[in-house]
Amino acid sequence: MNKNTMRKRSALLLAALLTTAAALSGCGGGKSAGNVATGSGNTGNSGGSDEQVTITHYTIDSEDRTFIEKLIPDFEKEHPNIKVKVEKAPYEQFDSKLQTLIAGGKSPDVTSHYGYGGFAEYYNKDMLLDLTDLIAEDGFKAEDYHIPDNLMKIYTVNNHTYGIPVNMYVTLMLYNKDMFDAAKLSYPPSDYEDKSWTFEKMVEEAKQMTVVSDDITKTQYGVDFTWAERDMRPLYFGAEPYSEDTWTNGGVPSETHFDSPEVIAAYQKLFDLVFKDKVSPTSEWSKSVAGQNGDPFVAGKIGMSIGGSWNLAGANDFPFKIGVAAVPWGGNDKVRSTLYVDPLLILKGSKHPKEAFEWIKFLMTTEVQEKSIELSGGNPPVNTEAAEAYYKHFDGIDPADVKKVYEGAVKYGYESYNHLITNYSQINDMFINELQPVETGHKSLKEVMPVIQSKVTEIIKR
Amino acid sequence: MSIVKAASSRAPSSLAHRRKADPVKIASFAALLITTFLMLLPLFFMVSTSLKSKREMLKFPPTFLPESWAWSNYTEIFDTLQFGTLYKNSLIIGVLTVIGTLLSSALVAYGFARYRGRGNQLWFILLLSTMMLPYPAIMIPQFVLFSKMQWIDTFLPLVVPAFFGSAYNIFLLRQFFSTLPEELFDAGRIDGCGELRMWRTIALPLSAPALATVAIFAFIYSWNDLLTPVLYLSSSDKFTLPVGMASLTSSRFRIPPWHLLMVASVLAMVPIVTLFAIAQKQFVEGIVLTGIK
Repeated sequence: MNKNTMRKRSALLLAALLTTAAALSGCGGGKSAGNVATGSGNTGNSGGSDEQVTITHYTIDSEDRTFIEKLIPDFEKEHPNIKVKVEKAPYEQFDSKLQTLIAGGKSPDVTSHYGYGGFAEYYNKDMLLDLTDLIAEDGFKAEDYHIPDNLMKIYTVNNHTYGIPVNMYVTLMLYNKDMFDAAKLSYPPSDYEDKSWTFEKMVEEAKQMTVVSDDITKTQYGVDFTWAERDMRPLYFGAEPYSEDTWTNGGVPSETHFDSPEVIAAYQKLFDLVFKDKVSPTSEWSKSVAGQNGDPFVAGKIGMSIGGSWNLAGANDFPFKIGVAAVPWGGNDKVRSTLYVDPLLILKGSKHPKEAFEWIKFLMTTEVQEKSIELSGGNPPVNTEAAEAYYKHFDGIDPADVKKVYEGAVKYGYESYNHLITNYSQINDMFINELQPVETGHKSLKEVMPVIQSKVTEIIKR
Repeated sequence: MSIVKAASSRAPSSLAHRRKADPVKIASFAALLITTFLMLLPLFFMVSTSLKSKREMLKFPPTFLPESWAWSNYTEIFDTLQFGTLYKNSLIIGVLTVIGTLLSSALVAYGFARYRGRGNQLWFILLLSTMMLPYPAIMIPQFVLFSKMQWIDTFLPLVVPAFFGSAYNIFLLRQFFSTLPEELFDAGRIDGCGELRMWRTIALPLSAPALATVAIFAFIYSWNDLLTPVLYLSSSDKFTLPVGMASLTSSRFRIPPWHLLMVASVLAMVPIVTLFAIAQKQFVEGIVLTGIK
């Protein structure tokens, strides 16, 4: 055999192999790959309503989200021409998969902001379909689905509606009845109109429950105050770090005030709980008791825990008795509770927005919302009629208390900033990193806040 | 220890010397024991937690051994997670990835090691430079490509790329092939071997340690890969083990079922440990010879 031709041939083979390998690993560019047929599942005409169409609902792969699969048969019976497919991803990969699907021309039809990115991020990336015309054409009225008007407004930007609220978590106080009994304290009120229930009173009661001991099994703290995400916390004391226009222009603040004396004073009050009054645990202690993202309240080591109402969902498993109470008054007459309202959104890349809207309407009906509470294991509905069933969902907790806490929270509530401000996941990460040295007691707020102020300004401009 | 004993019985004169060395030996033995214990502790907690009840899992301070042994966790995982399906899918993808990686990488590496063609170096540098591209950078273009080939929601995007070589493994094998003596191939050529036959009958059998190393690397990579299956698979019955396990901690609103997650981790470890046990001798030799682990 001729060695030269042999070499040449092998070199060619090698070159061919390498080129294909390069193309497959992505550096060869996708366009050369011929075959330009469109995706399989989502094709079909949106024109004729008789034609069979498939819509995709993209959600998190966890039981409290994927329960919608069980609602599909009823919907498909009512709408024989629409098939619903559920596409899912784990929480951590939710945003990456969504971005990839959209960029790859396989956009889902319906989703929500379940990942790290909030509504404002989706809105500013121009991912969302303006639902205003669809709503007008369909004659959809929020009151028919018992959706409070103020909640509909959250996802309306410049009079254009971009999302239909479906679930609503609020901020509330969970308290450990066993610890209150042991300290001979009366339970905190669930009524937001009870004026005696203040931040100062909460600190007083917390002091009576706190035990700091060298024996880690005996140590317990009175209160864990995780009200909203870190950047929103000054609002609880009446200090507003973002300029007013943020809430009307789609989440792009023209100014921020994280270095103002009021904002710094508000953060100081929160860190005083840990370092001055010593009624709240340090972050190291919480992590050692409950793990990286765990909640020490669950371990029975915290008297009062202020946090999202999702903490209620595990309540039936807690090894101690719990109650719910109002968030105490902290100096802001309008806002005492953070709301986390999840909307259903239609993506711009949807090929069947009309059918997608039919599915959304189906999910909003009182009957389906009631069913969803049970199937999801306790997701709070926005539909006020279905909410009655939610209040009764928790063993050993008085439904009247849950109802009072929810109604008060809506009255004195403000939507969580993570849904309303652009580039929020970056802002949040930055806050966690920059406040870390303050949480461990290595730096003061006066040193850190000006840095945060300049970094926020920079992130918003991205 | 038995070697020491045997040696001493044969040479009683070294008894005094042995006694002197004893404290050092005991100390090093103790140090090794403690290190082993520390290394095994997380593993122990994994197994122990996998046998705790949901309630006991939340206890603080955590219990060392389960108070009541919840063996039912090991059956529960099959009901809550379709564990069998996930396991099967991961195995299919893993085995095919290993076959693909071995075939393609060994062939390409052989070429790089044996031929002195024009631009050889340039091609090799080009190949190595693909290692510097992180997956997120090629994620979207690759998705577009596979989506146009109608490969979404199939195992193809997870398996086929393995049949086109991987830079790291090619590099590893090339280094190994380069050490094989030229004379062997000359002898083969005299006996009338073609290149492919020399690859198959001379290079591959002599490279068992390196091939075992590549097989283990390829399998572990595929077994642990989360992002690629998340992107390409959409039906639950095609999901792989990491996707299913990630879903257990996906709810922001629930306490994660750590005990079930630990059951899944224990079971997920089985193929890796088995593979390592089978290929251990070759693997260790491979690390020694290539200087890479």
